Amino acid sequence: MNTEPKKFNLNKYFALTKASILEELSFRANYLVTFLGNLIYLCVIYFLWKAIYNSSPHDIVNGMTFSDTFIYLVLASAMFNFLETYVVWIMAKDIQTGKIVVDLIKPMNYQLYTFFYFSGIYITYFFITFMPTFLIVLFFTWGKIAIGINLVFYVLSLILALIINFCIDFLVGTICLYTESIWGTNIMKEVVVLLLSGATIPLAFFPETLRKIVEMLPFQAIYNLPLTILTSNNTDPSGYFQAIAIQFFWVVVMIILSALFWKKSIKVITVNGG
Amino acid sequence: MNMEPIIQIKNVSKEFKVLNRREGLMGSIKDLFSRNYKIINAISNITMDIMPGEIVGYLGPNGAGKSTTIKMMTGVLKPTSGEILVNGRVPYENRTKNAQNIGVVFGQRTQLWWALPVIESFKILKEIYRIDDKVYNDNLELYNNLVGVKELYSKPVRQMSLGQRTLCDILAAFLHNPSVVFLDEPTIGLDVTMKSKIRELITELNRVKNTTVILTTHDMGDVDALCKRIIIIDKGTRIYDNSIENLKDYFGAYRTLKLMFSKNPEDNTEENLNKIAAEIQTSLHKEFPSAENIAVCSNEEWIDIFINEDEIKMMEIMNFIQNTRNIVDVKITEISTESVIKKIYEGGVK
Repeated sequence: MNTEPKKFNLNKYFALTKASILEELSFRANYLVTFLGNLIYLCVIYFLWKAIYNSSPHDIVNGMTFSDTFIYLVLASAMFNFLETYVVWIMAKDIQTGKIVVDLIKPMNYQLYTFFYFSGIYITYFFITFMPTFLIVLFFTWGKIAIGINLVFYVLSLILALIINFCIDFLVGTICLYTESIWGTNIMKEVVVLLLSGATIPLAFFPETLRKIVEMLPFQAIYNLPLTILTSNNTDPSGYFQAIAIQFFWVVVMIILSALFWKKSIKVITVNGG
Repeated sequence: MNMEPIIQIKNVSKEFKVLNRREGLMGSIKDLFSRNYKIINAISNITMDIMPGEIVGYLGPNGAGKSTTIKMMTGVLKPTSGEILVNGRVPYENRTKNAQNIGVVFGQRTQLWWALPVIESFKILKEIYRIDDKVYNDNLELYNNLVGVKELYSKPVRQMSLGQRTLCDILAAFLHNPSVVFLDEPTIGLDVTMKSKIRELITELNRVKNTTVILTTHDMGDVDALCKRIIIIDKGTRIYDNSIENLKDYFGAYRTLKLMFSKNPEDNTEENLNKIAAEIQTSLHKEFPSAENIAVCSNEEWIDIFINEDEIKMMEIMNFIQNTRNIVDVKITEISTESVIKKIYEGGVK
């Protein structure tokens, strides 16, 4: 009667992916709002960077032209829309209300459960917000984004970026087990990640020393590396392999760190309510 | 039937460290800089064995530690000391393996996917618990015979009433044929019809599948309808663990004598009745000093006298009161499970 799980089985995790896609698709208004919000943000950065370039005597600032910078930032914001799935908020809410107990009674590793629970959201947002933005940028700046091997590496790089980003979110969400509140911590995380990853300002604009430091942190592997791969145009893939290797290193480190931190923290859980 | 206990709890204690918060704004500001924690014993030294196929009522007043015990048995919380075995496994060390063989319903939360139709949630659970097609289909057929919920399956959970949702949550908990199901206040907030429907469902599922059921509830109707054995805890300690009949036998000698002294509503003001109750109580204690357990209180227009017939015969009390007062109506009630348990919660028996 009792079926013992004998080997690691992915089907049960894909069931969660399917469920979250189904759930996401039942709330249509979300996409429209995200899309409109993104449009307003893009207008702001367009005028901001236009002003920065106009005040400079050169057309090229820090090795980037205006259109390089703008393409980079538009794609960064498109990536942000699909990477930010509010993992931290939702984990924190589940911990605060005690709903987490319902997830903990599932016969699954909680971190994998959470990842696959959000995987459907990543997938839907990739197709509904990221892809259209990417295609619009591609056609409006025809010729600026190379179409070649870089796209293949970009997709791989994006998946690794997503895992690193998820692990950071999961790590910050876990802090809620101690603090029972996450607002301040999460705001700080968002600022740190967005700034140090090169999502708000391309790393080329950073002062030399700061850039050196940032390149040794995991955050740049989320936005800077994938976007550098995408906007570059190399026929020689060795540079791409190097970027992927750095990302892969951070994937391993972040998975281990977040899993260990969770394992240690779950012992302090009290489970609120009822 | 396997007569090894399916759940063994040995000398289990659970402590929580909680922040001692100071009062007011200044207090909260002080809390930011210096914190002082206190240790709360949620559970102290509880021991019990539960046999396969039993339905056990796990009772206790709010905050007694019922949910904490359930969370330890499901592997979510780790006991501070002592040992728990569920299906021969230590739940908090093998949380995911243990989860495969248990089902849980928290009456105040749902494990179903909020935005999806129930049948989709069932399909996801089928994958998560890796339920065989045959077992899954047999269970759906069984559910349909028991409660006929087919028309509910296509409805998203968020559009369901609380009763429908609880019903589906219970079905979901039994879907993977777990050997133990924990029901944490399954009938909370439900109407009478839904309550009895859910009680029938639990009885049937227990009978058909021989599933062990641990039920916490505040509704004595649930206890009377479902449980043969009850365990009562209060302030983290076990104060009763035996059959429900035994409980009633223990209190078998107790009766409640209800008297009415006037049918005129003007005489039956609350103030007046409380005064009468107090007078009767004093005079009864004076007249029958050996009957220590006599308790008198007013209850709407009635005066209730709680009597232990081992101490004193009811007729003696009737006669005594009749000599001084004019009784217009009389009722005698057997003690209910509810009042027995209330008495235990209040510290009536040891």
